[in-house]
Order: sequence, then C-alpha cells, then structure tokens
Amino acid sequence: MAEEKKTTTAKKAVPKKTAAKKTTAKKAPAKKVAAKTTETKTVKKKAAAKTVTFRVKRGERWQEYDVAYDASTTVLSGLEQIKGDQDGSLTFRRSCRASICGSCGMKINDRSRLACKTKIKDMIEGMDHRNYQGRDVISIAPQGNQPVIKDLVVDITQLFNKVEAEEPYIKEGPERVEAKDKTAYEQVNAVSNCIMCGLCYSDCTELEVNDNFHGPAALAKAFRFVADPREGQKTDRLKKLSEKGGIWDCVRCGMCVDACPKGVAPMEAIGKLRHRAIEAGITNNRGAKHAIVFKDDIRNGGLLNEPMMLIKTTGLFGAIEQIPNALHLAKKGKVPSFFPEKIEGLDEVKRMFKVLEETELDVETKVLDEGPGAG
Amino acid sequence: MGLSKDLNYAYYPGCAAKQIQKEADWSARAIAEELGISLHDMPKATCCGAGNLQEHDPAAGLAVNARIFSQAEEMGMDIATICNTCLQTFSYANQRFKNEPELLADINEVLTAAGIRPYEGTIDVKHLAWVLVDDLGLDKVKQKVQNPLSGMKVAPFYGCHALRPFEVFAGRGGERPLYLDQLIQAIGGEVVDYQGKDKCCGFHVMLAGEEDFLSMSGGHALNAKNEGADVMVSPCTLCDMAMGAYQAKAEKKMGKKIGLPEMSISQLVGASLGLGKDRLGTDRLHQDPTAVFKKYGVEL
Ligand code: SF4
Ligand code: SF4
Ligand code: FES
Repeated sequence: MAEEKKTTTAKKAVPKKTAAKKTTAKKAPAKKVAAKTTETKTVKKKAAAKTVTFRVKRGERWQEYDVAYDASTTVLSGLEQIKGDQDGSLTFRRSCRASICGSCGMKINDRSRLACKTKIKDMIEGMDHRNYQGRDVISIAPQGNQPVIKDLVVDITQLFNKVEAEEPYIKEGPERVEAKDKTAYEQVNAVSNCIMCGLCYSDCTELEVNDNFHGPAALAKAFRFVADPREGQKTDRLKKLSEKGGIWDCVRCGMCVDACPKGVAPMEAIGKLRHRAIEAGITNNRGAKHAIVFKDDIRNGGLLNEPMMLIKTTGLFGAIEQIPNALHLAKKGKVPSFFPEKIEGLDEVKRMFKVLEETELDVETKVLDEGPGAG
Repeated sequence: MGLSKDLNYAYYPGCAAKQIQKEADWSARAIAEELGISLHDMPKATCCGAGNLQEHDPAAGLAVNARIFSQAEEMGMDIATICNTCLQTFSYANQRFKNEPELLADINEVLTAAGIRPYEGTIDVKHLAWVLVDDLGLDKVKQKVQNPLSGMKVAPFYGCHALRPFEVFAGRGGERPLYLDQLIQAIGGEVVDYQGKDKCCGFHVMLAGEEDFLSMSGGHALNAKNEGADVMVSPCTLCDMAMGAYQAKAEKKMGKKIGLPEMSISQLVGASLGLGKDRLGTDRLHQDPTAVFKKYGVEL
C-alpha cells in the first residue's frame, strides 16, 4: 500500500508543472509580438519537460517515479531529481558526475552502466550501433554479482578484495627489465584506465555461477602488472593466475568488454595473460591444454580432432569421466571419428607454420601513450 | 561492402558441424538450397582456431584466418558460417586486417613466403542467418513457408560469440539484435522473452569447469521453458551442443526437469519450409521436437 501511495504522489509532481506551462501558452496570443517570444519559450520548456518513468528496484520491490528530461539529461540527474524533489530515501552512490570516480555503476535496462554517462534519451530512443532497443520505462537496479546494501548501493568489498589479491604493485625480482621508452608501456596503457566502477564485475557471466572467479577487473589489473617491464616476478604471477578461479575460468562471453566505460577490454587482457602463461610453460591445467590442442590439429590435419582433443585436454582419466557424455551423444549417432578427414592443401598449411616459427611477429593489440598523463 | 553477388557464399560450417553437430550442416545446406542461396564448399579451409589458437599463438591465429579469407576472396565471395565462435574469431581478425594495414602486410608476408595467395582485405564475414535477413530478405523467406509455425513459442538464444564485442559484428552484434526474432516471426512463430537470452551457454568451459557450464546452459534453458517456450533455437553449433545435447546433464545437476527441445535456427526454418527430418536431421536432437511441432500443425 505504502508503495502505491508513494508512486502516485511521485507521479503527480511533474504533470502539474506541464499543465501550468500549457496555460501560459494559451494566454499568450493576446499580443502578437509577445506571443511569439512566449511561444518559443514554451516550446523550449515543453521539450525540457518531457517525462519518463524510472522503475527502480528497492530491495524486493520496484518503485516508479516520473522524471523530467531533455536531450542531455543523464540517468544520474534523473535519480538526483527524485532524491531532491520526490523521495529523499532513495539511495545510490555518486560523486564526480563525469565518468571518473566509478561510483555510479548500476543496471540500467538490464545492463550495467554508469548512471552519469548514460543519457535518458538514448535509453528511450535506442542506440543503433549497439543494437540497443529503446524502452518507454527505464528499469534501474543495483549491480549484479554483489550483495545489495540498500536500493542501488551494493557491497563492493568482493571486487576490491579480488583486485587487492592480485598484489597490484610492482614487485622486486629477477624478471625486472629497465624500460627504455614509452613503447614498453603499450600493453600497460591498454588496461590502466580502469576506474574500478565494477560494471564488468556486475555483468560477468562466469561470476554469476562461480563466486571464486577473480573476475574481469582483477584480471585486467593482474595483466597490468604482468605486462609492466619493471615487474620482477612475472612468471610467479602467471602461475598463480593459472590456478582455479583464474584466467582459464573465463568463458570469453565478452560482457566485460561491452560493459566497460573506459575501453579496458578485460577479456582481451585475459587472452593476453593466457598467451603469456602458455609461453612461460605453465600448461599443466585443462584450460591451457585445451588451447594448445588446436595448433597441433590445424597443423597436422587442418581440422580439430574432437575425440583426441578431449583426451589431450582432460587426460586419460578425465576422458574416462567423459565416457557417459560420449555415450549420451552416441545415442543420437554422434560418434566423431578419431581420424577426421584432412583438408586439401595441407602442405601449404605446414609451410605456413614453418614460416611462422622462423618469424618474430608481435601482433598483439596495443595502446599508444598519447601525451602527458596518458595511461 | 563485401564481395558476394547473387547469393553466392563461401560456406564455412566449422569443425563441430563437420563432426558432431552434423545436423546443423545438413539443415543449413537444405534451407539454402530451398531458398536459392548457393553455399560453396571451401575444401582447403582449416579450423578457424576458435580463439584458442589465437591465445596460444596469436600470429598463427591471424595467419590461419587470413589464409581462409584469401580463399574466399579468390572465389569472389563473402564467408557465410553457422557457428558463432567461427563468426567471432573471423570477425575479430577481419576487422583488424581492415583497420590495421601494417598488420595485414606482416601476415601477408608470412602467407607469401609459404606460397599462399595474400589476403587483400575485401571479404565480409556473415552468419547464414544474417544472409537470410539482410541479403535474401524476410519476404522471400515468407514466400517459401509451407508449414507456418502458427504461433509456436520460440525462445531465441543468440549466443555471446555473435554479440560481443559489439564493434566487430558489422552492426549485427550488441545488446539486443533482432535478426533471430525477425526470422522466427517471418515463419509464423512467436518470440519468447526470457532471462539469459543474451548470456553465455558456457561451452568454452565445458571441459575446464563442467559445473559452471551446466549451471549456465541449464539455467537459460529453464528460464525459457518457464516463460512458456515450446522450443529454443540458436544460430551456433556450439550453443546447440551446450543447450541441447547436454541438457539432460544439466537437468541431473540441477535436479530439475527442463525438457525443452533445442535446435539450430536452420532446423526450425527448414521445418517451416516443409523439409523433412531426413534433410534437417531433427531425429538427432536430444529432446524430440516432433510432438511440439505436431501441436502447431508442423509435420517433420
Ligand atoms: S569475458 Fe570472461 S571475464 Fe569477461 S565477462 Fe565474460 S566470463 Fe567474465
Ligand atoms: S575494467 Fe572497466 S568496467 Fe571493469 S572496473 Fe575497470 S573501468 Fe570498470
Ligand atoms: S558519478 Fe563518478 S563515475 Fe558516475
């Protein structure tokens, strides 16, 4: 009942203002010149007074508020309107209002976004480049994968602890290299813009089913230190990262890449960590073993040899565990051959791998240092 | 703008469709034939690397992809695939080749040294479902429908490797693309909205973390079922495997019955075109859709 009541009072606040403006507009035509000015003004004000409904998750219930907006109003200003004019009890975090502090991350229409960077207009009208379909009512909920404290505020301890567990500082050690120039930081630059907003953590699909996963932000941070030339214990870090809960638990769903407001692309950093781990010979885990199979198969036959892949990934005992699965598939005639057909032109592929072996090629994506303060 | 003309495509089914998920390949070929789309085999194409080779040896990953792109380019066609992981791996590489000329030159040096035709960066990579919607057109699909689905409730599962990162999929990726919805509606189905439609099937941790995988795939299928879905479709052979072939395992793990027939979008489109189970391979599905189809007057 209490909710119903609140919703109605909240809703009334705005339409009243609109009605008042309409009256002014009607009165105006008395003087021609004045009418013109009033009319332009009215049009402007009218545009500013468009309203949209925010459906805000507050614990177990959803509460609706009407919010006035124009082309530049952000979701955060909308929430501030509510807090200031309609309901002081609504609780959310914010500080900088400029996508810097990372405080205002929340789920806005199902995806985690910074409230201060997200325009109400875009949420209603849609954004073609992201295939985001606009909606009339904007739903706002706290971030996912973390306990809720109140309304839109979540307990960020997990995220911060996981980042801290990566030991985010340069350690002394034998692998330290003195960096000569800026290009030595092209990998570090790629991930150092993280503002710890937790959007990636909130949308990560692996975290939804596995609390122990380090998560995208922490792994991006870990990469920042593995990639730093000055770091003295790179291999040791990679060893720890290859354990359960680390780099090989990521399902490569890409949620973190699309969620990140700072272009950190954690999934890409995870891929680079995997590459470095394999290079460092840390391959005694299913994830690495599985990745390695592909190269040999492509080189030797062109296609993936699925039954052998299983054995090479999981080991003989693991493969025996998989027998019920294989029998299950076999029920439907799905028995892959141990000797899949080979492709045509295999000699060409073999030559190509030989050339690759003899060539040093750094093809990793890089982010250049662009002036003072960059990175 | 791509190379393909008159609905001719270099067809790249991917390793899973060639070996375990053969029905995805059969049904793709069957609907293409029925709809006047020509899929041309690529006998020299290797595995795409599935992102795994790309992590193990990034340069080899790009070279393997460039070699395949060059073959399509020589055929004068864009690539059409039916596997999301192939789609993502290719789209990512192709975007880099188109935007980073130096990278393309480096990789082409490798190809040339091995006596392989270099890649000029002109092809597009598409999913067969995009071909149906964008190149053929939904009206043409509608014209060929023999057995409209008559309001069958279909849950589309797009699969993350066709969605993210949104920039690489030429406007087809992102939060909520509609091409599967449009296809489903064009053949008379009703789209079911459910939690998890844009999430991950978990296939890529199937071996490294089976528990996590089953919670993901089973969870989404159950959500769809609870929203009233009669069937689920995906555009990806790996999602098909995760959500369909392994559904019984997920049921066991969750201690709940799901019982939601899952199939590839080609199989569902094929059924509406009146193609039988021999051409669509629907008898290889782990949850038999025959009864549900019958309910809506669709004979297999
Ligand atoms: S790509 Fe990996 S780290 Fe990023 S959201 Fe998906 S599972 Fe999480
Ligand atoms: S990686 Fe991006 S999304 Fe994740 S916490 Fe850092 S800035 Fe936020
Ligand atoms: S308020 Fe600081 S990032 Fe939004």
